[in-house]
Amino acid sequence: MSETVSPILRIVVAIILLIVVAPLVVPFLMSISDTAYIVFPPQGFTLKWYGEVLANPEAQGSFLFSLELAGIVTAVSLVLGIPCAVGLTRFRTPGQDAILAVILSPLIVPLIVTGVALLQLFSMLGSRATMLQMVIGHTVICLPYVIRSVSASFVLVNRNLEDAAAILGAPPHVVATRVIWPQVRPGILAGGVFSFIVSFDDYPISMWLADGNHFPIPLYLYTVIERSFDPSIAAIASLMILFALLLVLVIEKVFGVSLARMAS
Amino acid sequence: MQSVEKTPLFDTLPSDGETPARDDARRGTGKLSLMTEAAWSKFSGTRHTGLLLVAPALVFLGVWFLWPVLSMIVTSLSAHTVDGVTVQGFTFENYIRLFSSDLYFRILLRTVRVALLTSLCAAIFAYPLALAIARGGPSLARLVTITILAPLLVNVVIRSYGWQTILNKTGALAWALKLIGVANPPVLLYTEWAVLIACVHVYLPFMVMPLASAIARIDRTVEEAASIAGASRPRVFMRVILPLSLPGLAVGASLVFSLSSAAYVTPQVLGGNFSPLLGTLIEQQILTLNDWSFGAAISTLLIAMVLAVNLVFLKIVNRRFARWTEAGR
Repeated sequence: MSETVSPILRIVVAIILLIVVAPLVVPFLMSISDTAYIVFPPQGFTLKWYGEVLANPEAQGSFLFSLELAGIVTAVSLVLGIPCAVGLTRFRTPGQDAILAVILSPLIVPLIVTGVALLQLFSMLGSRATMLQMVIGHTVICLPYVIRSVSASFVLVNRNLEDAAAILGAPPHVVATRVIWPQVRPGILAGGVFSFIVSFDDYPISMWLADGNHFPIPLYLYTVIERSFDPSIAAIASLMILFALLLVLVIEKVFGVSLARMAS
Repeated sequence: MQSVEKTPLFDTLPSDGETPARDDARRGTGKLSLMTEAAWSKFSGTRHTGLLLVAPALVFLGVWFLWPVLSMIVTSLSAHTVDGVTVQGFTFENYIRLFSSDLYFRILLRTVRVALLTSLCAAIFAYPLALAIARGGPSLARLVTITILAPLLVNVVIRSYGWQTILNKTGALAWALKLIGVANPPVLLYTEWAVLIACVHVYLPFMVMPLASAIARIDRTVEEAASIAGASRPRVFMRVILPLSLPGLAVGASLVFSLSSAAYVTPQVLGGNFSPLLGTLIEQQILTLNDWSFGAAISTLLIAMVLAVNLVFLKIVNRRFARWTEAGR
């Protein structure tokens, strides 16, 4: 087995992985520097920047708003996406190819363009409901992922098991909950988790639709990077990286969905 | 195994001269699918049900995606701005302006250049990683996969900021270069190089994953045959793995090109005002100058670029690949 990977390749891979990890590690080093500006290597040791960031009401507000938005968007995407996936995989729907093309098209068009197009439409309609606009904008980009993930799991359902359950006298709702649900659960979970992450991390849609009262965390982080130069940015970056690591653990351990599966 | 045992059973039963057993079996399967079909139709109905289930999502995306994007394309063709005043009417003026103005054309060229170079560099970095995932042991493959995918969960603003801390004048790279004796280390921050480096880092996973799955699909015996026939490792890579992994490369390259050509955050954080890409230009035209029709034209051009790369590039590579595999047979 190990013969197929030569030692040289191993060294090259190790170097590339170090480069990949570097920009996620350096902020940690910077964040403990006891200086008024960012410097490498860090000088002194302090945790005051973390205290400052954690006590910042703007940062808290944006973080909570992003969690709320991602939660709502994921719920809406699942409510719209699961029936759609069932319709696409379980029924012979006329014009299926065209429908699929429309549903997956938001994945091709650049997000920044989708965002600006939506802003134009909303201002044409004279809409001022920022929260609703942001939920709509994020759902447009999350829904295709949910439908793709859930459809894939419905395609893989073993029909023989349903037949077997039906022969043994299981009524349809029992077949649905005891036979189909366990088989499609991972796909639905993966779609939901992916949708949550896409919404939580979105910048190019929010940058057009957000306002001061609805200011998601990626926009907040960007403004902080633009306007301040002390190590508190490094501290907030470190916290966000820790949050992502926590997310990896939750996804892999609690939901039992592997990262590789979600990416495929 | 089971089917092998079962078929003779069904064949021996009707050999008495009677066929009812086989008929029963056939009717049984017929009844079976009828039963499940009936079960589904009980809370569904007929084939219109499929459409009913699909309709909410379809209508949602039709109203909130197709309509805005199409009306934006119409805007780019139906108005243009002269000295800050909007002039209505069918026009190609926005597109002519985009290609004839030196400033805008340079941004367009830079965008294409950064997107192409990002795809190229990502491919160079991705091959060793994809090989490790597809051909390494399970623990190596898992380590590489997690290390490549985990950064995707870190917000792109933070990943770009991470590069800022490295490429800064007082950053980690300058420090490391001074350590090995470079007296005046170059400051890369706020140059096109910084944008390129960070774009490769941000979009690398989108190249690694399709490549890894393409390499995993290559029959190992082909590689073994090549090396038994005396080909060195680099030669096996150039003559076997590289050509057979081209479909994966095509998918990865078109993904990376699409994403990096429309990148906004990374060029802003690392390029500043010194090397804007098309994304920045759209933002400036619409939010700062309020020129909706010109912004719409740039957006339309971006869609056209991405579509062209996705359709044409993928098709060409796939066709060539089909010819190669045919020639190989």
